[in-house]
Amino acid sequence: MLMISPRMASGMQEKQYTPSLLNFFVYNPSFGQREGEEEKKILFYHPSDVEKNEKIRNVGLCEAIVQFTRTFCPTKPAKSLHTQKNRQFFFEAEDNFWIVMVVRNPMIEKPNKDGKPPTVEYQEEEILDTVYGAVVRQCYSMYKLFNGTFGRAMEAGGVELLIQKLEKFFYRYLQTLHLQSCDLLDVFGGISFFPLDKMTYLKIQSFVNRVEESLSLIKYTAFLYNDQLIWSGLEQDDMRILYKYLTTSLFPRHSEPELAGRDSPLRPEVAGNLLHYGRFLTGPTNLKDPEAKFRFPKIFVSTEDGYEELHLIVYKAMSAAACFMISASVELTRDFCEQLDGLVGPQLTLLASDICEQFTVNRRISGPEKEPQFKFIYFNHMNLAEKSTIHMRKTASVCLTSVHPDLMKILGDINCDFARVDEDEEIIVKAMTDYWVVGKKSDQRELYVILNQKNANLIEVNEEVKRLCATQFNNIFFLD
Amino acid sequence: MERDNHQEGEAQGVKICDPPCESNPPADTLATSLSLLGNHMFPDPVERNNSTTVNKQELSNPILSDVTEEEKSVDAEPQSNQVTKLEAEEAEISECQNNASSQTLDEGTEDAATDNDRSDSGEFVVAMLAKAKLEEQGIGVKGRSSPLLEAGIQESPAFMSHRDEDVTAESWRQHRKHVFVLSEAGKPIYSRYGSEEALSSTMGVMMALVSFVQSGDNIIRSVYSAEHTVVFLQKGPLVLVCVSNSRQTEQQLRGELLYVYYQIISMLTQASISRIFEHKKNYDLRRLLAGSEKILDGLLNLVDSDPSFLLAAVHCLPLASSLRDSLSQILLKAITPNLVFSILIANNQLLTIVQEKTVIEDARLEPADVHLLLNLIGASSAFQAGEIWTPICLPLFNPDCYFYAYISYLDPPECTVCLLLLSTDKEAFYAVAECKRKIEEAMTAQNSLSLIAKVQSYSVSQVGVSDLRHFMYKPFDVPDNYRQLTQFTSPEMEAPYSSEEEKMRLLDLYRYMHSRIHSTSRPLKLIYHVAERETLLAWVTSKFELYTCFSPLVTKACAITAITKLLRWIKKEEDRLFIRYPQKYSTTPNPSKSSRGGKSDQQDSTENGFLSLL
Repeated sequence: MLMISPRMASGMQEKQYTPSLLNFFVYNPSFGQREGEEEKKILFYHPSDVEKNEKIRNVGLCEAIVQFTRTFCPTKPAKSLHTQKNRQFFFEAEDNFWIVMVVRNPMIEKPNKDGKPPTVEYQEEEILDTVYGAVVRQCYSMYKLFNGTFGRAMEAGGVELLIQKLEKFFYRYLQTLHLQSCDLLDVFGGISFFPLDKMTYLKIQSFVNRVEESLSLIKYTAFLYNDQLIWSGLEQDDMRILYKYLTTSLFPRHSEPELAGRDSPLRPEVAGNLLHYGRFLTGPTNLKDPEAKFRFPKIFVSTEDGYEELHLIVYKAMSAAACFMISASVELTRDFCEQLDGLVGPQLTLLASDICEQFTVNRRISGPEKEPQFKFIYFNHMNLAEKSTIHMRKTASVCLTSVHPDLMKILGDINCDFARVDEDEEIIVKAMTDYWVVGKKSDQRELYVILNQKNANLIEVNEEVKRLCATQFNNIFFLD
Repeated sequence: MERDNHQEGEAQGVKICDPPCESNPPADTLATSLSLLGNHMFPDPVERNNSTTVNKQELSNPILSDVTEEEKSVDAEPQSNQVTKLEAEEAEISECQNNASSQTLDEGTEDAATDNDRSDSGEFVVAMLAKAKLEEQGIGVKGRSSPLLEAGIQESPAFMSHRDEDVTAESWRQHRKHVFVLSEAGKPIYSRYGSEEALSSTMGVMMALVSFVQSGDNIIRSVYSAEHTVVFLQKGPLVLVCVSNSRQTEQQLRGELLYVYYQIISMLTQASISRIFEHKKNYDLRRLLAGSEKILDGLLNLVDSDPSFLLAAVHCLPLASSLRDSLSQILLKAITPNLVFSILIANNQLLTIVQEKTVIEDARLEPADVHLLLNLIGASSAFQAGEIWTPICLPLFNPDCYFYAYISYLDPPECTVCLLLLSTDKEAFYAVAECKRKIEEAMTAQNSLSLIAKVQSYSVSQVGVSDLRHFMYKPFDVPDNYRQLTQFTSPEMEAPYSSEEEKMRLLDLYRYMHSRIHSTSRPLKLIYHVAERETLLAWVTSKFELYTCFSPLVTKACAITAITKLLRWIKKEEDRLFIRYPQKYSTTPNPSKSSRGGKSDQQDSTENGFLSLL
């Protein structure tokens, strides 16, 4: 006979909530110092419908925490505050300009009998500071990419302009933050490079040189294939954030046509052009349209003495994408765009199919794909190169990983352990679920491996990782 | 309510020297409290009145000896009466402290002693601590009526360098670990470095942060900066804060704060602390803890340098089991009613421990309680001269009641072997002192002291594994049938871990391994960590946990062989490394005493009859 427990009978179940964004604000403690004018400190506050006094209180707490930690180290103030219900991350982006992100701890809601409100249990140890601290810094970098520094806005139009810009940027950007799927990759903020043979690489380089020579307005070029970087003329840090924008925001928005495959018929709006598959991802969607606007997004990149403002042209043919950056002082015309389309379109289409061919050949050589015994993440601090077989595909909306979130957090823990000392290290741990996780740090490189041979012993795990290093990273020395 | 207290105090002619409650900023005036960061002193608006005119209120309640009982009657008592009593106590203490003449002192302590004779444990402590204060001042106390005062001891003035530190100096900021204790009203109670006065504004801010977050229906846990971790812990009316740059985890630091809290409880009991703050929110607890800073200092030094605290286990001195057994037998033969624990210690390590039967059936001694006892003994050189009889609470055993501890060294002047006898009867001094005499006699007869003197901790080389540098091994409940005091064993730290810095570094590595393997959210079964200077392996099974340190070049295969050898060696040496079988005894409960001496006695009367049937 089936017994139904009272809990089952009432159909009550525990509810699990993932971490979520509670508040996000930007403030400057040097503003509104007179009593009663505290609101002037606040330059941006999300959500905006929070009551004024509540905003002032929350900003006040941050100020107090930062000030308090200066008692113990004047130059290195607080970075995060842990409370039972949430975590707050503090980042002084520019002198006196603080960005604060408040993330609610994940929680479990346990229903109570007799109509009592459910008990909420906060999981206080789930959020990794390193991950969300990196997310806040990324928010600022992204703002800076499209708007320049806070200081620049202050110079150009005072507090009013800065408030306007913050409002405009973060209103949309915060909606794209998916805090529940942030992980170690956010800490690295790396760039995935496309592996290529020398010949094809040279072809791409000569393509970039030819275009830059023909269209002398172009200051910088970056070349990507399959969401992976092949060539970049930008500074590393600028490329890192531009790469983040391209791969998590711009490309996913335009991915639908590619998903149909390269044999799909040309889209109707560009049907007139039968020579190539090229199109603008930024700027005009259809050159033939007489109404077409030739406005491109502007970005800010670093120069030796500050920043320069550039037009960002992203042009794509099949899986190959080229970014051309042109000084913002130049006005871009229909002529220029047509010229670029005519020059780049056919060549890029050709290159794309070359690379694709090369890619499939390589795949065939490396043998049929079978589920490997391990998954790994690799990151090189020197060139920001990152490689993950854990993440299926990182898009704007969702980051799919093929391993349990707890294992991802163990990777994060090991990453923190590596940061403790500036030495080469190896850490092997066995999780409660019997998965083995291996972390290796050598010079500027970090490698994390998850093995799903649960019955293996330490020595077998060691052998397995050695094999992996030999096949995937044969030219990199890792501490044994 | 607060105002009432003050009026009452003034009516009694006893001024309270605390600033009024404004030091506890309400949550919405955080901005105001922020400004405190600038200045370094609180204004003290109420002037101190050293008048020794004390109007002693005679209480009409009958004799109270049981804390819980007393709690009830206190509640039943009119509020004002209780407040007055509290203030009378304070005045008494200040009287003792402010008079240098031994005449007055005698009076003062005698008053306290008589108080304690007829009244509650709270007052007993007051007397005890007042005496401790006098000891600090280097004044011997000779008593007449209470055995408490038999333990007249001399102590050189305390070495107070840490208290005098400049709290604005860089050197102050550089300390590895700061610990602050404050009351909910933001009043400083203890600071590890720098005087509480100089830090009162900093502590005010700490309290402001705690209450501000609280006002949002939330609890502050910690703050992280690039170099420091600040951990908050609220326990009843006390707030404990740790500021550390040691890279220890929040959980470990909070565990250490808990030890600090327990040490305070061990001196005052939880019940009396809550009672004090219930009656007077901004009471200055330093009055009751005066002289005990050294005990807290000592605890914090021990916590930093002794892995027992990390492992929550007791380290006992390796001893041939025949010798350990003979020592246990000596202790077993020297018992008296209401004696519950007899503990023999050498160099801050356990030699043996025997327990009263009913106690061991009911609960075992928690390692944390043993740590507090060991620290108490280690921290005060006062115990080295003669005998001491002091109330002490074992917070994990029962946070609200006192044991009475008899402490005496058996080998003066070396003072390495210490006898600790715990009784539930505060009148039992003479009986317990007689036990000590018996123990001393038996030990002399068996030449035990010289045997103990020869005993040393062991070297890792005895294990015979070449790459093994150090280890810590903690078995779970060995042997299985006995609920035992949790113990661990570990060899001496030898080269390359001989310097203080290197010792600390290895301990820090162990702490890091411990935190990861016992992580609350993501515990692990095993960690193998290869670094440039050493290779570490931590392993937790259902039977034991083990932390090992190898030379950096050891291979994984070698390490695994080494661990197999090590485990075999420990098994072989088990009887020497651990106290294997806890010795129990039974004392006949003394019915005339059963109303006195707290909870343990109650257990005697309720459970003994049942136990005799077994």
